[in-house]
Parts: sequence; C-alpha cells; structure tokens
Amino acid sequence: MHPPKQFTAKLEDKIVFNSKYTQYEFELSEPYNMPFLAGQYVSLKVAENGTRRSYSICSTPAITHGFELLVDLEPQGVGAQYLQHLEFGQEVQLLGALGQFVLTPDPGVGHPDREEALVFVATGSGVAPFRSMLFELLQVQQDTRPMILHWGMRHAEQLFWQDEFAELMRSFPNFHFHPVISQPIDGWNLCSGRVTDCLSVHEQPERAGYYLCGNAPMITEVTELLSKQNVAPERIHHEKFY
Amino acid sequence: MTDGTGGARKVKDLAPDENGMQTSVSGHVVVQTKQIGKYKVEVIRDKCISAASCVAIAPAVFQLDEEGIAIVISQDGHDDDTKLLAAQSCPTAAIIVTNTETGEQVWPLE
Repeated sequence: MHPPKQFTAKLEDKIVFNSKYTQYEFELSEPYNMPFLAGQYVSLKVAENGTRRSYSICSTPAITHGFELLVDLEPQGVGAQYLQHLEFGQEVQLLGALGQFVLTPDPGVGHPDREEALVFVATGSGVAPFRSMLFELLQVQQDTRPMILHWGMRHAEQLFWQDEFAELMRSFPNFHFHPVISQPIDGWNLCSGRVTDCLSVHEQPERAGYYLCGNAPMITEVTELLSKQNVAPERIHHEKFY
Repeated sequence: MTDGTGGARKVKDLAPDENGMQTSVSGHVVVQTKQIGKYKVEVIRDKCISAASCVAIAPAVFQLDEEGIAIVISQDGHDDDTKLLAAQSCPTAAIIVTNTETGEQVWPLE
C-alpha cells in the first residue's frame, strides 16, 4: 500500500445522475500521479478551517493521473455543499489514497483461504468502491471467479451505472448484477425489499468473500445473516467510514 | 562522582543547536531537549471506527491496538502539521488536538 500524500487536483467533469447522486471527475495537478488500490478513498478538504470529508474512489486503479468520486448530495452537509459549488477547473486539496477496505489478494486455485467467489453488497453511494473493484478484477486482472453485486436503493429512478454494469455482464459472464429496490413502483420485476432479503433469497456461492459498503444497519444485518450461514468473519469485509 | 542525574547536568541559558541538543561549556552534550511541536493529540476511543487514516498519515504517532482502536504511541513521532492533518482526516473526529502552550483545543473546532 502506498503511503498517503497530499495532492492538488482540478475538477474536470461531473455527471449529475439525479437530484441525489453526482459523479465528480478530478485530474491531478501536483503530484500528478496517485497510485491506489481499488476500494481506497480520499480525504477531501472541504472548508478553509481544515474540515475534511472522506469519499471512496469509484474509478479504475488502472488510471492514476486522476480519479472519480460518487457523492450523495442529499444530506447537504459541508462536503456536499462544497462539491456542489465547485466549478470546472477549480482546485481541490486532498489526501490519498487512504483506507484498508481493499480486495483480499487471490492466493490461487486450491488454496484453503481463497475467496472462491466475490459477493459485493451495497446500499446507495456505497456502490462506489465496488465499481473500482469490479473494473480492477474484471478488466485489469481478468479474474474469472464468480462475482455478484447486490445493490440496494430506495427508488428505481435513483439507480445509475446500470448501463456500465450491464456492459460488464455482457463482457464478463462471471459477473452478475442484482439491483434491489426497497420502495418499488408497479412494473419493477427484479428484487425488491432490502439487500438482506435479496441475499436470503439468492443462493450464495460456496467459500465466497463478502464485501459490504453502505449504511450501518445494512452492515449489521448482513453480517448477522452471513454469520448465521456460517460464513467465517475473515471472509466478511466492510468499509468503516460510511 | 554522581549528582543523581545519571551524569547529565542541567544546563541553562544555552541555546539548543539545530538538532535540539544543548551543549555544556566543556563541550559535553548533556541534555536533549528536542521537542517536535506544541500539539498534543488524544484519541476518543468510543468514537474511533478503526478507519486507520491517522495511522496511515502519522504512523509514528498513532497505531491500532489489539482491538483495532487507534492509540497514541508518541507525541513526538511527527511534526504538528502532520498530527493535525491526521486528526482532520479522521472520519469521525475521534482525535482531539490541543495546543500545550495555550491550552486551546485546535481540533475539532468547537
């Protein structure tokens, strides 16, 4: 893991998916290169008094001259307000890359500790680090282990990146995507309820590794569910700062 | 002959050199007074979520204990700016920074 450094970056682009979620793309200025592991985050300075907010990097680790963040703007906290008012080309100060919520290295076929499949469970913006991990596993490492993403959202219209995940499913048959909507409207014919319900319904792969990111109640519920299913604690990983 | 100080004698009114060492008139280095900064850091255990950003930024000041909670292993492992940065990067504001000269809490801002 690379020791964190202070960086200056410029806002290059942003994609407003809906009133809640926006993707921000930054280009590094100084230093111009930030190696990171999929799942790591940056600590962004969001006020002159030194206040910082942590955001998972959602872009591929294959690109190190910039990075992308996915931000839930609805809470309208100090971080959201700062990012909303950021103009194209404006500089930001950040620390990166931080965090230990990263993929367990694959020890290879036949190893007793190997995660034979990877199950990603997210709610809301918690999907951000998984986009980076999936790019790393599928596109960079060409990993052929089964991978499933369960992504919980309140409303179907809040979803984004479905096209990207659909494209990944087409290109990599070992990847499956299950969106879960807790408040579906008529016509939603995929999983509904909470991600925990979805996990209970779908049969889970043997000897999988589970990666959880999202709100605290989800982390607790899913961890309890997996424990009841005799999943070893060392196979359950979760991001702590959400 | 000893004076109860283990051979080190207090030397006053001698400015420390660039390394913070004070030297007696006889040329012997007698007291090390190197102090890296004026900031004191403390971890509020109940607020720590083991994100370990402090450890990543200032590993000579913070480490995780056997429960995965951040602890302070030294106040002098890094300079004040690095200690403050480690505190500011904590996602739960679990690190308090105090200016030992003024007694003022530097972080989190009250």
